[in-house]
Amino acid sequence: MNGGASQMDLFDYKPALFRHAGEAFDPGRGVRVEAATSEPGKVLRPPFPFRQHGESGRWVSDLLPHTAQCVDQMAFLMAMQSRTNVHGPGSYLMNTGFLLPGFPCLGAWVSYALGNESEDLPTFIVLPDARGLPYNQKGNFSAGFLPVTHQGTVIDGGPSGPIPGLRPPDSAAYITPASNAEGLELLQQLNAAHLHSNPGDSRLEARIEAYELAARMQLSAPEAFSLGGETPATRRLYGLDQPTTAEFGRRCLLARRLVERGVRFVQVWSGAGGPTGNWDNHSSIAKELPPMCAATDQPVAALLRDLRARGLLDDTLVLWNTEFGRMPFSQGGEGRDHNGGTFVGWMAGAGIRAGTSYGESDEWSWKASRDVTTNYDFHATVLHLLGLDHTRLTWLHAGTNRRLTDVHGEVIQEVIA
Amino acid sequence: MALWVSWPAVAGSSETPRQSREHWAYQAVRSVPPPADAGGANPVDAFIRRSLARAGGIPAPEADRRTLIRRVTLDLTGLPPDPASVDLFVADPAPDAYERWVDRLLQSPAYGERWARHWMDAAHFAETHGHDQDRIRTNAWPYRDYLIASFNADVPYARFVREQIAGDVLFPGDPQATVALGFLAAGPWDESSLRDIREDTLDRQIGRYLDRDDMITTVMSVLASSTVHCARCHDHKFDPIPQADYYALQADFAGVDRANRLFDREPAVHRRRQELRKWQRGIESMDPAVLTGTEATEAVTRWERDRREHASTWVPIVPIEFTSEGGASLSRLPDDSLLAAGIRPERDTYSITATPPPGIVISAIRLDVLTDPSLPQGGPGRADNGNLHLSEFQFRITVPGTGSAEDMDFADVLADHNQESWTIQHSVDRVDTTAWGVHPEEGRSHHAIFILRKPLRPAPGARLEFKLQQRHGGGHEIGRLRLSVTDHASPVTDPPDRIATIISRSPSERTAEEQGTLTAWVFGNRVRSELATLPPPSRVYAAASDFEPDGGLKPSDRPRPVSILKRGEITQPTIAAEPGALACIPVLPARFAADQSPDEGRRRAALAEWLASDANPLTWRSVVNRVWALHFGSGLVATLNDFGSMGAQPSHADLLDWLAAWFRDDAHGSLKQLHRLLVTSGTYRQSCAPPESHSKAMETSDPDNRLYWRMNRTRQDAECVRDSILHFSGRLDRTMGGPSDRQFGLQPGIHVTPKVDYSVFDVDSAAGSRRSVYRFLFRTLPDPFMSALDCPAGDQITAARNNSVTVQQALALWNDRFVVRQAEHFAERLASVTETDRIVRACQCVWGRPPSPDERALLQRYADRHGMAGLCRLLLNSNEFLFIN
Repeated sequence: MNGGASQMDLFDYKPALFRHAGEAFDPGRGVRVEAATSEPGKVLRPPFPFRQHGESGRWVSDLLPHTAQCVDQMAFLMAMQSRTNVHGPGSYLMNTGFLLPGFPCLGAWVSYALGNESEDLPTFIVLPDARGLPYNQKGNFSAGFLPVTHQGTVIDGGPSGPIPGLRPPDSAAYITPASNAEGLELLQQLNAAHLHSNPGDSRLEARIEAYELAARMQLSAPEAFSLGGETPATRRLYGLDQPTTAEFGRRCLLARRLVERGVRFVQVWSGAGGPTGNWDNHSSIAKELPPMCAATDQPVAALLRDLRARGLLDDTLVLWNTEFGRMPFSQGGEGRDHNGGTFVGWMAGAGIRAGTSYGESDEWSWKASRDVTTNYDFHATVLHLLGLDHTRLTWLHAGTNRRLTDVHGEVIQEVIA
Repeated sequence: MALWVSWPAVAGSSETPRQSREHWAYQAVRSVPPPADAGGANPVDAFIRRSLARAGGIPAPEADRRTLIRRVTLDLTGLPPDPASVDLFVADPAPDAYERWVDRLLQSPAYGERWARHWMDAAHFAETHGHDQDRIRTNAWPYRDYLIASFNADVPYARFVREQIAGDVLFPGDPQATVALGFLAAGPWDESSLRDIREDTLDRQIGRYLDRDDMITTVMSVLASSTVHCARCHDHKFDPIPQADYYALQADFAGVDRANRLFDREPAVHRRRQELRKWQRGIESMDPAVLTGTEATEAVTRWERDRREHASTWVPIVPIEFTSEGGASLSRLPDDSLLAAGIRPERDTYSITATPPPGIVISAIRLDVLTDPSLPQGGPGRADNGNLHLSEFQFRITVPGTGSAEDMDFADVLADHNQESWTIQHSVDRVDTTAWGVHPEEGRSHHAIFILRKPLRPAPGARLEFKLQQRHGGGHEIGRLRLSVTDHASPVTDPPDRIATIISRSPSERTAEEQGTLTAWVFGNRVRSELATLPPPSRVYAAASDFEPDGGLKPSDRPRPVSILKRGEITQPTIAAEPGALACIPVLPARFAADQSPDEGRRRAALAEWLASDANPLTWRSVVNRVWALHFGSGLVATLNDFGSMGAQPSHADLLDWLAAWFRDDAHGSLKQLHRLLVTSGTYRQSCAPPESHSKAMETSDPDNRLYWRMNRTRQDAECVRDSILHFSGRLDRTMGGPSDRQFGLQPGIHVTPKVDYSVFDVDSAAGSRRSVYRFLFRTLPDPFMSALDCPAGDQITAARNNSVTVQQALALWNDRFVVRQAEHFAERLASVTETDRIVRACQCVWGRPPSPDERALLQRYADRHGMAGLCRLLLNSNEFLFIN
C-alpha cells in the first residue's frame, strides 16, 4: 500500500481519538511533537466507524468489510516502526532494509536464496498499479549488488506483451515464425561450435541454456498471464466485474496464477508515487482513503479465499504492508502527515499463527509502545517463514557481508504457528 | 596547505589493535625491483612469470593477431576494429605493429569516452535524484564531458584526484576543476528529506548524515579502496578505523550540498565571477574583511571623489511632441515631466521629440521615472503595484529636411535601483522580452542614466528623438517621466536618502556602522553591475556551498556541525567531529585544520591533499589495481574497493607495489602510460583458450586463473554491445559532448518524478545514434535493454560490473526493438558489398574474422531463406560476438 496506509483509520482502533477529537495533540511529559511536512494540528477523529470481527474480535474499520471477514486467518503486527517519515527512504527501508538506494529488495533476496521453481517464468514478478510505479520506481524491486537475474520483472501489460522482450516487435516485418525458429536453431548450432573451440567456460554454456529457456518462456508465459481460463465465479470473486475493483482485482488474480505456476515472489502494488491516488492521504482521510480501500478490499479478501480454496494458502505467505503510518492529529484540514512511529501490517498463510496480533501502540496510535516490529524484525520473520535464517543469508559487498536485516532483526515467534 | 594542516596528533582516537595497522594495505608502497631472471622485457611479465614458474606453470601462447586487435581495441576504446584495420594489422610485418596500434587507440577520442564510462560506474553517476522524487538533473552532463576530456588529455592522476574533491579550491582559475566536483554529487540525493520536509525535523538531520555518507563511501571506496563507511555505527570490525575517522570524513563534507553550481567556460570570466561572488557574499553578510578590503575602500573613495569633482548638472529637455502608441494620454507638467493617464494598454511605446538645449554637448541622458498621486501605489509605473518594465530605450538624432538621422549607441547604462533579474542593461539589449523594472521599490522615484558612446554636439536645427518601448505586457508602463541631458563625461546615479545622509558628513564624522552601510551600498552596486556585464554562466550539478536556494535547500555559510553518533543514531550525538581522514596511515595527518574556519573548502582541500599525497599507499595501489582489473578481468587484489582485512589478499603483492610506484614516480600518474604498459605485456597478449595439453594441469591447480596463465575471457559490457551494433549498422554518430540523449518518452508525472517510457522511443532518431556514454541515465528507471546487460543504474558504486547470463538478457538481445531494427540497417549497409561477399563481411564485422567454409554455407542458406536482416540479428546474438577472447 504505497504512501503510508493510515493505521488508526483502518486497524488500530483508538477510542481516545474519538474522545479528544479537535483538541490540541499533547502526548504529555513535555514531549516534542514533530511532523515531517507540516505543523502538528489538532487530534483528528477517524471519520469511519470501527467494529470487532471474527472469533479473534479484531477491530476493523467499516472501510474494509471484506478484509474484516478474514481476520481470523491473519496475524496482525500492530506496532510496526520505521526509522524515517519520508517516502523515498521509507519505501527503500521496507523493501530493501536500507534507507539508501542500491540494496537488494526482499524479493531479490528470496529469489537468490530459493532459486527458481518455475521452468519458464521469472522468479520474482512485480505487478505495479496501472497509474504508475510506486515511490523510488524500480529502485524498490532492485537486485542491488546481487546478480541482475534476481531483480523484479515488472509486468506492465504494455504492447510488447506481459514479459518485456518476449516477442519481436510487430514493426519487424522480416521476422516470421519460421525465421525465428530456424534462427534460434542455427544460433544454438553456432554457439555450440564456439563452445567447442572455447571449452571450460560455464558462461558460454549458460547462454545456450538461456536461449532455450527463453524459447520455452515465449510459449508458456502468455498462458500464465491470460485470465481467459478463469471461471465467471472466480472473476466475480476478485471484483473483475466492477469498475472500482477490476484493476487491482486483475492483478490479485494474476498473482494467484503466477504463484500457482511456481513464481517465488509476487508483489502487487496499490497506488503510484506522488501526492494523490495512493495511500498518502495528506488532504483528507474522509475523501482520499475510501477509494483506496474500495479498490483493494474485495480483491485482497478474494486472494486469501481463492488461495485457501485451492489449497495454496498452506505454503503461500501473504503479506499486506505499507512504508509507514500516519499521525493521530490533523494536517491542515482533515488529512494526516507521515508517521514512522507506529503502523500496522498483517500476514496470512504459510506458517502464520492465524487470528493473532503482536504489539501495541500508545493510546493515540502515535508511537509504538509494546512489542515493536521493526522492518528488520519483519524481514527476519518473513525469511524464517520461508525457511531462511536472516543472519546467514548474506552477500559480500564493499567490505561487508550484507544482509537484508543489516545487523538487526529478531524473528517474531508470537505470530508463527 | 601545510600551513594549516595539523600533523599527526590524534590522541586516543585509534585504539584498534596494533596488528591490524600492520595490514599490508596501510604500509608504504615498497620499492621492489622486477625479477631479472624471469625473462620478458616488460616488468609486468617478469613478476607474473616468476609466480607462475613457482607454481610450475607456463604462460599461454600469444593470441593470434585477429583476436588481439579485437581484444585491445574494444578494451581501450569500447568500439570494435573495422575489417579493413584488422586486415592491415594482420598483414603488417613490422615487429612493433601492435605497439603502434595501441598508441593509435590511446590517441583516439573514443579512449576518453570508454574510460570515462568506467569512472562513471565507480562514481555511480546518473542524471536524476533517485529517490521518491526522482527529478531530472539538467546539468549533470558537464561532469561526464569533463571526464572524457580529462582522460583524453591524460591529466596526471594526482591532479585528477585533487580536482574530484576540491578542484574549486585548489585550482580556482580552472573552470573545469569546478566541474570536477560533479564527482561528489554524482550519487543519489533525497529531495524529500533534504529539500521538502521541515528543517527542524530529525528526518532532515538523518538525511544530511546519509547524504554525506554517500559522498564518503564514494570517495573512500573509489579513491582509497577503504570501507570506512563500515565505521558509521561503531569502530570498524575488521580494519583499524575508529568511528572517529568516519565522522572526521563526515566533517570534511559538512559544508557542501548537491546543487547546480555556476561556472564559466572561459577561465578569465570564471576567475572574475568567483571573486565578485565572494565579495557579494561578504557584502551580504556585512563581513568586515570584505567591507574594509582594498577593493571596497578604493571603490568608495573613487565614488566619493567622482561625486565631488564631477558633480553633474542635468539640463531638462522640453518635449515638443509626445505620443503613446497604445492610446494613453500623455500630458506635460510644469516641471517638463510627462504624465500618462487614460487608457492603460497591455503594451505601449512612447515617442518623444525635443529640440536640444542650445549650445550643449550631450554626454549622457537621464531618465527619471517619477511618483505621482494619480498613479497606482503612487507609481512610478502604471502597473497595479506601481511597477514598470522598460524593454528598450532608443535615442536618435535627426536634422529635419536633410534626411540625416543617426541612432546613438550607449557605452554604459546605470540605474539607482534594479529589480532582481530586471536590470537596466535589459533596456538596451535589443531584446523585447527583457526589461528594466523597479520592484519592490515602487512608490519612489527612480532614475536611469544612459551614457553615450561618443559625446554629441547637435547640429543646428537638430531634433532629439526618444523611443521608450514597454513591450512586456500587463500594463507595465511608465506613469510619469522626465528626460534631461548632461555634458558630464561620467555621471553617476543619485544615492538613496539613507546614503545621502551619510555622505553629507565627512568620513571622519561617520560612525563605523555608517561607513559600513555606505561601503556595502557603493561596492555592492559596483559588484552587481559588473556581474551583470559578465556573459551568462554555465551550470554543473556538483558539490556546492554557494548556490541559489531551492525551497528548503539552502546553502550553509559555514560547515554544519557534525557529531560522532553513538551507534550511528541521530538521537545519540556525543562529541563534535573534527575534519580529517584515516588515522591508520601514520605518515599523513589524520585530522585537519583545528581552527574553526567558516571556509568549508579548506576541509575538502585538506582531504584532497591527503588522498593525492605521494605518501598515501592506498591511493596509488587502488588506482593501478583498478586499471589492471579493467584490462585483465580481475584485480591483483580481487576486491577493488576493499583493501581491508575482509577484502582479498593481493595475488602479486610485489607487482602491485612495483606498479603503484612506477605509475606514481616514473609515469607521473599518466594513465595512458599505464594502459600502454599493461596491454603491451605478454601477459595481456596471451590466448584465452590455450591448447588443452597446456591448460590441463593449471585448470586443476588454479581454476580462477589468479596466476594469469592465460588471458581471461570477458563478456562485452552493455555500452560495447550497443555501440558495436550501431557501428556495424553504420548508424553510429560520433558527435561528442553536450546534453544527454533521452532515449525514452518523457511526460510530466503525478508529482515530481516524470513518466518515462522507453517503449515509445524512436530507435532510428538522432537521439538514438550516439555512443552510449551520452545516454541520459535515469536512476530509478534505467533502460531495460542496458540493464539486462548489467549496466548499473547509478544507485550503488560499481567497482566491477557483473557478467551475468540471464534469460532476460537473451530475450533482450533477441527481441529488443533496438537490436531488431539495427539488424535491418546492418543488412542494408551490407547491400553495398558484392552479394557473394556479404556473409563474409558480416562475420568480419561482428566476429573480427571471416567464417569457415562450413559456417559460410550454413549462414548463406539461412540468409537465402530468411534474408540478410534475419542473419544479422542472429550474428548479434552469437556468443562469439558477446564475448571477447
